[in-house]
Amino acid sequence: MDTVSAPGTAPAPAPARPRVGVVKFASCDGCQLSILDLERELLEVAAHFDIVEFPEASSARSDGPYDVLFVEGSISTPEQAEQIADLRGRAKLLVTIGACATAGGIQALRNWADHDAWRAAVYARPEVVSSLATATPIADHVRVDAELRGCPIGIGQLRELLTALILGRRPEVRDEAVCAECKRRGAVCVMVATGTPCLGPVTQGGCGALCPRWGRGCYGCFGPREAANAQSLAGWFVGAGRDEPDVGRLFAGFTAWAEPFRTMVTELGGARGAEGTRGERE
Amino acid sequence: MVTTTPAAPSTPRFLAREDLQILIDVLREDGRVVIGPTVADGAIVLDEIRRVDELPAGWGDVQGPGHYALVRRDDARLFDFTVGPTSWKRWTFPPTAPLTRVSGPIDDTVYQPWDPEIPRLAFLGVRACEIAALVVQDRVLLGGPFTDADYDARRAAALVVAVQCTAASSTCFCASMGTGPEVRSGHDLVLTELDDGFVVDGGSARGREILARLPTTAATGDQVADGITVVGAARLAMRVGVTTVGLPDRLLAQLDHPRWAQVAERCLTCTNCTSVCPTCFCTSVVQRSELVGTASGSVRTWDSCFNPGFAKVAGGSFRSRPRDRYRQWLTHKFSTWVDQFGTFGCVGCGRCITWCPVGIDVREELLAIAPPIAPRVTLPGPMPVAAGPAEFASATIASTRAETDDTATLVLTDMDGTLLETKPGQFVMLTLPAFPRLPISVSRVREDGIELTIRAVGPATKALTASKPGEIVGIRGPLGVGWPIERAIGRDVVVVTGGIGLAPLRPLIDAVLADRSKFGAFRLFYGARTRRDMVFRDELAGWASSPDVDVQLIVDRGGQDWLGRVGVVTQLFDQATWEGSKAVAFVCGPERMMQNTVRALADRGVQPDRTYVTLERHMECGIGLCGHCQMGRYFVCRDGPVFSLAQLGDIFGREGV
Repeated sequence: MDTVSAPGTAPAPAPARPRVGVVKFASCDGCQLSILDLERELLEVAAHFDIVEFPEASSARSDGPYDVLFVEGSISTPEQAEQIADLRGRAKLLVTIGACATAGGIQALRNWADHDAWRAAVYARPEVVSSLATATPIADHVRVDAELRGCPIGIGQLRELLTALILGRRPEVRDEAVCAECKRRGAVCVMVATGTPCLGPVTQGGCGALCPRWGRGCYGCFGPREAANAQSLAGWFVGAGRDEPDVGRLFAGFTAWAEPFRTMVTELGGARGAEGTRGERE
Repeated sequence: MVTTTPAAPSTPRFLAREDLQILIDVLREDGRVVIGPTVADGAIVLDEIRRVDELPAGWGDVQGPGHYALVRRDDARLFDFTVGPTSWKRWTFPPTAPLTRVSGPIDDTVYQPWDPEIPRLAFLGVRACEIAALVVQDRVLLGGPFTDADYDARRAAALVVAVQCTAASSTCFCASMGTGPEVRSGHDLVLTELDDGFVVDGGSARGREILARLPTTAATGDQVADGITVVGAARLAMRVGVTTVGLPDRLLAQLDHPRWAQVAERCLTCTNCTSVCPTCFCTSVVQRSELVGTASGSVRTWDSCFNPGFAKVAGGSFRSRPRDRYRQWLTHKFSTWVDQFGTFGCVGCGRCITWCPVGIDVREELLAIAPPIAPRVTLPGPMPVAAGPAEFASATIASTRAETDDTATLVLTDMDGTLLETKPGQFVMLTLPAFPRLPISVSRVREDGIELTIRAVGPATKALTASKPGEIVGIRGPLGVGWPIERAIGRDVVVVTGGIGLAPLRPLIDAVLADRSKFGAFRLFYGARTRRDMVFRDELAGWASSPDVDVQLIVDRGGQDWLGRVGVVTQLFDQATWEGSKAVAFVCGPERMMQNTVRALADRGVQPDRTYVTLERHMECGIGLCGHCQMGRYFVCRDGPVFSLAQLGDIFGREGV
């Protein structure tokens, strides 16, 4: 982090701004759009960072090297597996953004299924489609220095990461459940008051408890938090009279492949259409 | 510190149901925002109330572990329910509150307290348990050596209109905690709801002044009696409670109970219990900075002892396992809180039971872990009210000196004069703009400033050690209890330390050498990874060549530049021909090293009440208000960081405390 300015110094950007790249793999581009959602701060971001690669935003391209490389998406094809290994070598700091890059994304549900059967069912000429049997997070392939969770990422956490990069301090991303944000905002717990299943207690915060504040249960898009006790929460749902596959399906969302959600899906069932999954009925 | 003046004898009045709006109007005429119960999102929550028809007329509640439901009744009563998910601390101790504003360039940084506008409020419908909770937070935030100015102002600006409970939920246990259901004190006004209106009584001068402005009649004997009857019914409706007799001691004797691991299998560590608790006060400081970094500020935000980062320091977390965190919470509420603040940390409102997503019931856990045995309990009195809060002020870096590859000493000047009175072993909270605040022990007190010796282990300490003369840092202090040097007068002095642990002991060494004749033999045992990792090397050499102190050094790894001993610091004791019964020992180092050291010291005869250690814990505030550094009955920042072994007892070295 030699190139960033010292804390508190005047805003004049140093001549050598950190070179930033934004790239994507299997994903919907929504997290990249969240970067552009910074809108009012975009000029400041551009003043502090030299954005050399960001196809979603600019036709200027660069193969690196990058001081900071933001990576969206999961690894879904053999080519992508080679590309990410190559990109890692060109990046000083690699930051994964979003549920696909950090947990595998919704496409990781195929990890429970018969890949060849699905491919044959979807494509007229499956033999021309080159894809891996699994969709996996970036960290399964290369070392990751930091990750921003969410589907899409939280703009507040993105802003904090960029600020911390400029200042050279550790980003203050709080290690807490969605519940902590929910309670600070004064929302009524949907689980306790209305019996709505909610993954908030086991999910990493950062969204500001967006769904529970609107009366919906959290579906875990920020992924499991540290020491997430999914077993206990699933047991409570089952004890409240829900079928095991229904409970498994709660965990079978955008971060299904991240432990311990993965174990819940495997043990309880709920990966839609997957074969060989205990308890699966569809 | 408390909103009410003592109650003078008064006669209960009667306010007709249709006139309750006048009470709301009178409060609003006085410029108060009225906060009261209202139905939203499937629960009775607290929010701003302008009209009486916003109150939950005809609504009741059914509560159980992990369960809450509204029920419709066929009457029009406004307060016939129990406490909901919101507690009044949302207004007296908000979820986030601005603390310090930092502006200006690095060589002219200004630290200012952030003075938010405090709204005048009226709380309408405060229950007895909730008044008790406000009083508990008064003790925590206003009763210690430092006070929370923001809380003080908000609390004083809120008028308390209490309501007697006429119902009890299955989760209510205020009667067993001695906090309700009857409202007896701490209110400005109290209402008891009857079929056709309210018995109203003043609890303070300002409450009676408001009462005089309401269209009331003298309450009849029957009305007063009916009021007493309905509250009595609420008391009788509480079935399950907590046996508080002897509970603090019973609970603390069960730190190794297998139930802690069992409850941790259910506990989600989701922090719902601490968030809904009306007395939980733990917070963290969050840095807010603009992208450009010229202005920044810090904000206090609710935190929880269930969060993984809560007890974290550079080397790891002191409570890494969920069982440790649950044990910390329950023992604090029902045991060590009593030692610290003279009351239980629980008022029996039952919110933590209802709003636990998996229905963990503290009453069940207490019964399983610490069943009632001996009928004995002593509650210490309230803590003395002491001076105001220490705010962050600026100090200038006069010079810096590298001690090792990763450690530097900063000399700070141009600071508040009280810092020049820092006692050996005390510390300061130190910050750079937009960086977190860190506890740093003072490594020397000079005539014109202080020295701080800092090892770069993370970004914040790296930025501090890299700072330049002329730059400004934010500082709060001096803080904590230092080394009790006076206990060593007339005795031998033994100092055992390693690495950067010499820093907090250097002022002690200075003090002993400045008054050398008052002490007996003076021995300094110092270890480091290598010679190059020793701090204050010139001074060590100076001390070693002086007859005043016997300096013995050891390193983990020798080398070409080292002719001395290799090993751990306690090995130095083997050679020494000294006897500890006349000595006072001062120890600083990693906790594992200190455990080994105090064992070796005990073997040489040093008494536990003459063995002092200084502890490291996660600290956010440094003044006993944020809760992070709690260790049993102590806050390490306020009651330490220096403790005698006798003080710590068996919690020293225990995992997960």
